Amino acid sequence: MAVTRERLTRALAPKVVAVIGDKQASGYNWLRSMKEFDGPVYSVQVDENEIPGIEELGIPNYKSLTDIPDQVDFAVCAVPRQVAPFIVQGCVEANVGGVTLFTSGFAETGEEIGVELQNKIFEIADPAGLALIGPNCMGLHVPGLGVRFNRDQPAGVQGNIGFVSQSGTHGMNFSLTGAAHGLYCSTLVSFGNGIILEAADYLEYLADDPQTEVIGMYIEGARDGQRLFRTLREVAAKKPVIIWKGGQTEGGGRAIRSHTASLASDQAIWEAMIKQVGAVAVHNLDEMIDVVKATLLTKRTQGNRLGLIAMTGGQSVVLTDAFEKAGWKVPTLSDESYAQLSEFFNIIGGSYRNPLDAAGTIGQDPKHLDTIFDILNADENIDAVGMELSATFMARRWQDKPEEFDRLIGSLKRFMSESDKPFLAALHPSHVEEAALTARKRLQEEGIATFPSFERAANALRKASALAAV
Amino acid sequence: MTDVIAAARAANRTILSEVEAKQLLADAGINVTETRLATSIDEAAAHAAELGYPVALKVVSDKITHKTDVGGVELGVANEDELRAACERIHERVIDAVPDAEAQGVSVQPMAEPGAEVILGITQDQQFGPVLMFGLGGVFVEVLKDVAFRIVPLQPRDASEMIREIQGFPLLEGFRGQPAANLEAIESMLLQLSEFAEANPEIAELDLNPVFARPDGAIAVDARILLTSNS
Repeated sequence: MAVTRERLTRALAPKVVAVIGDKQASGYNWLRSMKEFDGPVYSVQVDENEIPGIEELGIPNYKSLTDIPDQVDFAVCAVPRQVAPFIVQGCVEANVGGVTLFTSGFAETGEEIGVELQNKIFEIADPAGLALIGPNCMGLHVPGLGVRFNRDQPAGVQGNIGFVSQSGTHGMNFSLTGAAHGLYCSTLVSFGNGIILEAADYLEYLADDPQTEVIGMYIEGARDGQRLFRTLREVAAKKPVIIWKGGQTEGGGRAIRSHTASLASDQAIWEAMIKQVGAVAVHNLDEMIDVVKATLLTKRTQGNRLGLIAMTGGQSVVLTDAFEKAGWKVPTLSDESYAQLSEFFNIIGGSYRNPLDAAGTIGQDPKHLDTIFDILNADENIDAVGMELSATFMARRWQDKPEEFDRLIGSLKRFMSESDKPFLAALHPSHVEEAALTARKRLQEEGIATFPSFERAANALRKASALAAV
Repeated sequence: MTDVIAAARAANRTILSEVEAKQLLADAGINVTETRLATSIDEAAAHAAELGYPVALKVVSDKITHKTDVGGVELGVANEDELRAACERIHERVIDAVPDAEAQGVSVQPMAEPGAEVILGITQDQQFGPVLMFGLGGVFVEVLKDVAFRIVPLQPRDASEMIREIQGFPLLEGFRGQPAANLEAIESMLLQLSEFAEANPEIAELDLNPVFARPDGAIAVDARILLTSNS
């Protein structure tokens, strides 16, 4: 029996939560992670030795799910694998919306007992339409509701990124590293073995979820590849989808007779599939963060001509290299732009061909930056604008004179609101990592897409723009 | 059209002959050079007279995958005298290279007017099912692996994009005075092949290699089909 949308919504946007089998040995991680949950949290634990510790946390404990005087929407189950089928049965009896099975040791082990237990769980959950997440997963993270599986994850902040992960680690890392970049999830699911609900189910949910603006996915393999393919084709037509495929599935080991079969590597097929559905492929966590960030924070362009603002001559050169290597053009500006720039641009130790080596000019009068932006905004040769923010020279100064940093941010935001052209900034941490991080955090809070290197900025804008073409 | 597959299954074969493969494709409306099996030299001569010279002759044997490697191919055979001599040469060389070839005969087909050589193929992916491949033929596919894939079923946009995705695409647009290939014809062949793959799940692998992509259309001059080993 298919899980209904109503049931799935109860599970993924719960009003009442229960944690089953949490214990001292794990530091009551699950119960503590639910500390910020926006509603009642209950514990289910039968071990008399564990109950006092749970009650000390101020969480009411019950011996069984059915004893809880409330309708539980979402449960987390962290019991040994032999017990798991009984808990799933209990969830069905208590009409729980959905349950995360953190418990592992099932089909992923390849052991007969693991496979048997997994089948048993399927046989209980499937006919009941229970929204079962996992097993062998970290489950659900909804910062807006305070649902977490790790205490460092954010709570009390409404995010806009849907994230679906076959791996618990990569799901967790995305939520933690993303938050450090000012990126927050609407709903994140780590689904592990995915015996009842698989990637396609969560993608369909996120496609319809009004909070979710962009979808990221980490995936290693699909049980029903055709369903995933068809679902992705529909979902990616509604929202930007960014896919990180991990690992390589081994070939079937059969004798191959054709050129076609010999060239059809797992990687080639997945990359083709991702392109075909209108998603973009990324290859590591950093790239996922970058492309999600660019997709959310920068405007889109179908053009490929960039106006660049650098702080030194040397950076002008490598900034251009980085963007051109990623497929961008750094063209000459219009005659009109040059005529205007020549009126005020300081060419002693600077230049304004494109890139604009502008530190001296801006240093002379910060208003010049606004003028430069206005010129680039009007220039028909330019589709997007990138800027080097030099931590090397400026990060400490921004700390000492915050009004200068405020002024810079004001200029960037003015351009971003007045222009339809995408804007992004590169801020390398240089020798002042801490100061640079503080600056980055502030820029992110202001909604300015900031990347730690020119290469990452160039790649992120290229991939985000490819998504815009969908 | 499944007669060909049924016959191969009955004979416990998973490899279709070129003649069988092309019959299957022609029945599906895919443009292939008409290719007939001749089990004697006289029959070969009769086919050639009907199809029109020049013709190509290729050995037909379940035991031989790479016909050129064993001397089993004669191209540009211009008339009946040449055809009789060519059949003898194929016979001698194949017997020499593969004594147990048990050849059924030779296939006879008209020499197609050449064009840019491209490859179109089908394979089955463990996760996604049938998958289509497109690339330039010869060295481009074998050494440079300059190919594009798409999952079946293809939409028209997929066919258009996969042709333009390969590095060697400019060669199809008429590089250095070569005539430009008819891209619409390749696109339609890809879309036909997508339907063909959906309709024939028993096809494990298929190579149309080469397909001649000419200004006036596209035609497959060789075809190889491997059936799934189960069922």
